[in-house]
Amino acid sequence: MEMFNYYLKLSVRNLIRNRLFFILMISTLAIGVGVFLANIAIIKTMSSDPIPHKSDRIFNVSLNVWTGDNPDAKLIEVMRYDDAMHILKNDIATHTMVHYQSQVYARDINSKSLTRHQAVVRATTPGFFPLTEAPFAYGGVWQQDHAKQIVIGDTLNQQVFGGGNNVGKALEIDGKAFEVVGILKPWELKPLYYHAAYGQKFKTTDDIYAPIETALDNEWAINVRSTSTDRINSVSDNRGKNGYFIQAFVQLENPQQKNAMQAYIDNYSQHRQEQGEVLRANENRLLDVNQWLDHKEVVDERMIAFALATSLFLAVCIFNASSLLLARYHSARFETGLRRAVGARMKDVFYQGLVESILIGCVCAVFSLFFGWLFLQISTRLFPALERTSDIDFSLIAIGIFVALVTSFISMLYPLIRSCRTPLSTTLK
Amino acid sequence: MLNMKNISRIYRSDTIQTHALRDFNLDVKEGEFVAVTGPSGSGKSTFLNVAGLLDSFDEGSYELDGVNIQGLNDDELSRLRNEKIGFIFQNYNLIPDFNLFDNIDMPLRYRGFTAGERKRRIVNALEQVGLASRAKYLPSQLSGGQQQRVAIARALAGEPKILLADEPTGNLDSLMARQVMELLHTLNDTGSTIIMVTHDPDQARSVGRNVQVIDGQITDHSVYAPTHDNATIPVNV
Ligand SMILES: Nc1ncnc2c1ncn2[C@@H]1O[C@H](COP(=O)(O)OP(=O)(O)OP(=O)(O)O)[C@@H](O)[C@H]1O
Ligand SMILES: [Mg+2]
Repeated sequence: MEMFNYYLKLSVRNLIRNRLFFILMISTLAIGVGVFLANIAIIKTMSSDPIPHKSDRIFNVSLNVWTGDNPDAKLIEVMRYDDAMHILKNDIATHTMVHYQSQVYARDINSKSLTRHQAVVRATTPGFFPLTEAPFAYGGVWQQDHAKQIVIGDTLNQQVFGGGNNVGKALEIDGKAFEVVGILKPWELKPLYYHAAYGQKFKTTDDIYAPIETALDNEWAINVRSTSTDRINSVSDNRGKNGYFIQAFVQLENPQQKNAMQAYIDNYSQHRQEQGEVLRANENRLLDVNQWLDHKEVVDERMIAFALATSLFLAVCIFNASSLLLARYHSARFETGLRRAVGARMKDVFYQGLVESILIGCVCAVFSLFFGWLFLQISTRLFPALERTSDIDFSLIAIGIFVALVTSFISMLYPLIRSCRTPLSTTLK
Repeated sequence: MLNMKNISRIYRSDTIQTHALRDFNLDVKEGEFVAVTGPSGSGKSTFLNVAGLLDSFDEGSYELDGVNIQGLNDDELSRLRNEKIGFIFQNYNLIPDFNLFDNIDMPLRYRGFTAGERKRRIVNALEQVGLASRAKYLPSQLSGGQQQRVAIARALAGEPKILLADEPTGNLDSLMARQVMELLHTLNDTGSTIIMVTHDPDQARSVGRNVQVIDGQITDHSVYAPTHDNATIPVNV
């Protein structure tokens, strides 16, 4: 311990005496580590499990019910109203939700102001809440399929009502009143697994959660795909037609339950096929959350290529720092030789270098976290698509410190070994 | 104390081999003061480096204070350097941004002494070389002779068995050189064993025993009477 303090004192003196050199060297490392960290932050968030304790029990239901005339087309992951109702009402799963996304303009019905707030709507079923673990601050979910009742998110609650418990108040949407029956706490889900389609996997959670029947009744807009022969006159008209716009998720606790669900959807699409609707072979899928996110390529392949590049860049930074250190140790070999001559073992020289590398690593860690943060800011500015994909959390800071320590040790290792082997008789006269 | 038998040290480069030491024999007893002279390039520094365990040797045997050097590993050699040897260089080799105290402290750190013990020894060593009041000075604030005395204090602080000095007065003018020599004589009088390389015949004559190195070998074994004030008469052994 006494030696550790001594080495620490020597290292601090070294750093201060050669501060310009060390700022250069540490910056070199820290930029490398910073870029690497920023990249990890993005990938880590992208590949994180949004609902870890039950992601293996929640499944996306993809049905083979596309009636289009191209049998080789990729399986589409939306279904018709009729299909969704079959999934919803079969009573196999513990929880089931079907949903589509819409958008409306809403205001507090009692407000004097006529300002309307744009709000993203999740038209869904009560199963949505247990399946996403959306946390209620006040109230609860609607009780009837066609009720003009809604749940709102925290952001909208702040915007419209200024926050607080507003259960019982009403929002006006398109001239109609909708009672607020529940209000959520601030809530994030990264990635937004239930809406991983359409490149929106890192969007915020929704503003309004409404019964899907209510949304259809009120003609809240949808993004629908249909087969060419159908003519759909209104949103609610989709109920009986081949309009594909609903996704379904179910919670299945065990393999038996899963098998039962698989059998059900196979039967269902078989039945549809027998009616001459479906043209291609069966391809019904139950993908759990992580499989589903993989399938939707939540972690962009370009991101992985970029990760490779940042790792190489980090390696270059290490080589760079290493050659800088080599030069410095060369110029410090008088002192090293002297220490050896008066009795320092090679080990002692090595330990001293090790303590120095820990000190440098710590300084480097601080710089790295700063650079990492900076690069994240820059990349989210330059590439808005990356916004909300990058969280700096405790584990990332720990990774940052660890990587900084390791890289400073690695870059120090070869110069240090050379320094330990300084021949004594030639360095001292 | 120090016993070398048939030591040879060969420097090899791609094209040439230099026999810096060949069949080198020397036996130094405890309490002796030995002056090593010889022409430039004859191998004096090489001998001292081998003796001080700063350099290895190719053949022969070397015993220091009863320890056979052959086959010792780095830990053991470092420990011997630290405990038994005090080295004094021509260039003093003080660390410029350490004050005198910290310079002398350096070898003691590797010895594992307590802070109190180190301090006692440093103060003691500085007193012996007459610089006790300047512990906080930097080397650059001292004259060359004073700096060399600090270097001697650093060598003394570990209470070594033997002091090895390579032209300790080589960079000093005659007055300062005399002060340093007086210090070495005092140390020898109080029991220190000293081997000193010198180019100065007067200095050599003032010393108990003279050894000449020519072409990597000891060629002259003359012993002078151990007085250092008057001219002495060589006695062949
Ligand atoms: N590291 C080395 N590599 C190669 N040759 C060396 C090395 N050190 C010394 N020599 C050679 O060994 C011989 C003895 O050198 P040494 O330094 O011992 O001489 P010296 O007696 O101390 O000379 P001086 O009085 O000039 O200091 C010289 O020929 C020198 O060139
Ligand atoms: Mg020499």
